[in-house]
Amino acid sequence: MAKGIELKGVSKVFRHPERGDVHAVKQLDLTVQPGELVTLLGPSGCGKTTALRMIAGFENPTTGRILIGGQDVTDTMPNRRNIGFVFQNYALFPHMSVFDNVSYGLSVKGIPKVERRERVAHVLDLVGLQGMERRFPNQLSGGEQQRVALARVIVTEPSVLLLDEPLSNLDAKRRVQMRSEIRRLQRSLNMTSVYVTHDQEEALSISDRVVVMNLGEMEQEGTPQEIYAHPESQFVAGFIGKVNALPAEVVRVDRDEVTASFGATSFTVCGPSMSIAVGQRVSLLIRPESVDLSSEPDGPAPKGRIVQVTYLGEKAEYDIECDGTQLKAVSFDPARHGMFAQGQEVYLRMQGGSMILTDQ
Amino acid sequence: MSSTSAIMRREKRRLELANLARDPVLLLTVVLVWVAMFIFILWPLLKLMQAAFVDKGHLSAKALVSILSRPNNRLALRNSLLLGGLVALIGTALGYLFAFTYARTNIGSFWRGVIDIACLLPLISPPFTLALAILFALGPRGLITYGILGLKNVNLYGLQGALLAEVLTYFPIAYLTLRGILANIDLSMEDAAFSLGASRLRVFLTVTLPLTIPGIANALLVLFASSLADFASPLILSGARFPVLPTQAYLQITGLYDMKGGAALCFLLLVPSLLIFAIQRQWVGKRSYVTVSGKSAASSGGRLTPPWARWLLLALCLATSIFVFFLYGSILFGSLVRAWGANHTFTLENYRYVFTFGRKAIRDTLVIALTAMPIGGIYGILVGYLVSRKSFPGRSAMEFVSMINYSLPGIIVGIGYLLAFNNPPIALAGTAWILIAAYVFRYSATGIRATVATLHQMDPAIEEASTSLGAGTAVTFRRITVPLIAPAFFAGLEIMFIRAMTAISATIFLISVNWTLITVRILEGATELELGHAAGFSMLVIAIVFITTGILRWIMRLAGMSDYSAVAQIR
Repeated sequence: MAKGIELKGVSKVFRHPERGDVHAVKQLDLTVQPGELVTLLGPSGCGKTTALRMIAGFENPTTGRILIGGQDVTDTMPNRRNIGFVFQNYALFPHMSVFDNVSYGLSVKGIPKVERRERVAHVLDLVGLQGMERRFPNQLSGGEQQRVALARVIVTEPSVLLLDEPLSNLDAKRRVQMRSEIRRLQRSLNMTSVYVTHDQEEALSISDRVVVMNLGEMEQEGTPQEIYAHPESQFVAGFIGKVNALPAEVVRVDRDEVTASFGATSFTVCGPSMSIAVGQRVSLLIRPESVDLSSEPDGPAPKGRIVQVTYLGEKAEYDIECDGTQLKAVSFDPARHGMFAQGQEVYLRMQGGSMILTDQ
Repeated sequence: MSSTSAIMRREKRRLELANLARDPVLLLTVVLVWVAMFIFILWPLLKLMQAAFVDKGHLSAKALVSILSRPNNRLALRNSLLLGGLVALIGTALGYLFAFTYARTNIGSFWRGVIDIACLLPLISPPFTLALAILFALGPRGLITYGILGLKNVNLYGLQGALLAEVLTYFPIAYLTLRGILANIDLSMEDAAFSLGASRLRVFLTVTLPLTIPGIANALLVLFASSLADFASPLILSGARFPVLPTQAYLQITGLYDMKGGAALCFLLLVPSLLIFAIQRQWVGKRSYVTVSGKSAASSGGRLTPPWARWLLLALCLATSIFVFFLYGSILFGSLVRAWGANHTFTLENYRYVFTFGRKAIRDTLVIALTAMPIGGIYGILVGYLVSRKSFPGRSAMEFVSMINYSLPGIIVGIGYLLAFNNPPIALAGTAWILIAAYVFRYSATGIRATVATLHQMDPAIEEASTSLGAGTAVTFRRITVPLIAPAFFAGLEIMFIRAMTAISATIFLISVNWTLITVRILEGATELELGHAAGFSMLVIAIVFITTGILRWIMRLAGMSDYSAVAQIR
């Protein structure tokens, strides 16, 4: 039942009345395995929604082919692709009850009434909306509307599920709850899914695989862990989580490690994926949670001064000035470990193993 | 860069064609609509141009030159433009006065209702009605001029008579346009100006007025075009000394049987009309600052006007309204007396005449109006849907063409139809269908616009959701789009019916022995000085229009009851 999706060299160009031709998606190649949930993650305008809408058939690619279950659907109407699309604003039919909304896809496909009623009841049960059949969309809360939108789609047993920022209209608490619910449904029904979001936390928590997009192109793809731990560019590192970029100079290049100096301190970074020369200016990327602060030097460590302290309960964030560079550090459970004060001098203990070397 | 953009343009065209190819329902609909538009909009225009500019198989400006060589026709051109300009200025000013009073003073719902009815009456009454009433109030032996003031030798005929009749007939259009715009201006903008220390006058001059300028420009253009096209008021009130183009064209054809001359006069009328149409689309259409947010703060516009100004504005509006009511009252009076202006004995004779000798005209008009109504309604939402929701080659051309017949003076459309459908291949003259077609392709403009506006506010995702659930174009249109644009559909039906009941300029040439219209009987009554009959027919039309629109609104409310909105109220 679950089918894979393939995008081969897909591009989309829009004509904009003022800005001329806008290349929304450039030469995108993407494969989604049957039953897999892939997230398209990126800032607004990166082409993720356009890519999703092309899979659905709402937009025609300017070039390239789209395959669902091995079949070329590039020229197939959306209504013949057997997809399920969950819209950002749900797009519930305002003139129909919950029951009519959910059974719409079945009735369009000519499913007999008795079976329709059974399947709608089953799906409403699945999303926790039993007893709401006669309500109308404007009588539902945001979370309930979201469930109806999901139910309306999964009741038709689509070969692929496409979700366009489905949680962006919900409040923070409900978002986390719906997130795990969508994941649970997707797993239990084994639905191949493409999920568009600009929320990195959402992407990390829900996906089998994350595709980071920027300016219409794929920046990097991988499992959530790979993307977070081994970003291949400063954009990916900065977009997924926070990152410090230390300006550094290469002092030694070995076979699979590079040593670079930030101020007076040198760091040895493993496995650079580019050709590097001694004397080159590079950036050393390190996540704030990998920067340990201490009031004692304990080995070679750059010295900085705390400019601002932000207390967040479970953690404390520090803005630090170090050798003319602004850095961020995080310490967890500050109640137990104590906090540094604004203006205090600290030593930044960082390991080369937590760093990634990129072009400056 | 230009070559890549040319490639992209070709690419877009290819995608649009591919879109058509994979959606046969869309393809078929687009083709059918184009065929209908060609036959009923473009073909008559081409025939009119042919009559005006082709002489014995050669291109020639002879007819135009000969028309222009007559001083009376040059005068008519000048008069038409002068009258149009004055009607536009005065009508828009009056419309603004009414709209501002309605939207920016707290005058209460009763007075708002009074203003609304005074503006509604001219919109739904048949032509000649106001002109006749004005004649009887202010003419040489008029109720006010002669009866009350005792004036003798009052000269109403000419510019002043036509101007008064047209201003009163058309200012409600300006009122509706401007009221909509004033009501849609987010009042928090005015509040912001107040909070920054601006005085009332300053807020009005720097915020409110500039925001309504697109609406004012639009109203000016629409009123100018309406006056240019008006045929009924000048026919009664212009007299021989103040000829205008539509009446000249009418007389050229009905009096002199000069089709070519009539067509050439129509061309003179066509040029300014098309110009206005083009300006309106190019300029005004793109300059609306009004945003329909639907979330206006709970503020009222009342603070823009001090109390004394409120009463002054209301007094001005009421004076105008009372005059309008008086005019309509005098028609009712005229329909109930033996001889209007001479013998004021009460009688039902005029209505007996209307319902015996006028029965055929009543029956014909109702049959035609009730046939044109559903056809035009469906055509309206179909075209509105296609041009605002579908992408196919020639989409914006279709939108443009759909508005042509509405934008042109009725007399041009009428003569075009006469020329196009008198002979095979499409010989419709003498049938009801020529009248129905004229109405459908001229008066569906409201339905098209209402549909476009409704769809504009409707998230396309709702239709995409239907498509992604497996519904094709036809099913989505029927089950999702149509229910949601039903209000626009009903608005289209309503206008179609009102126009079909009251039209004269487009249809005066299209009636026949077999099919005639009430408005034509009113014209006969007016010109043959059977004014009681004309008044009786006029009252009948007003009554029919009131009843029918009432029924339509009742159906709408009823449909709404079984719909989502009603259920929302229950809980």
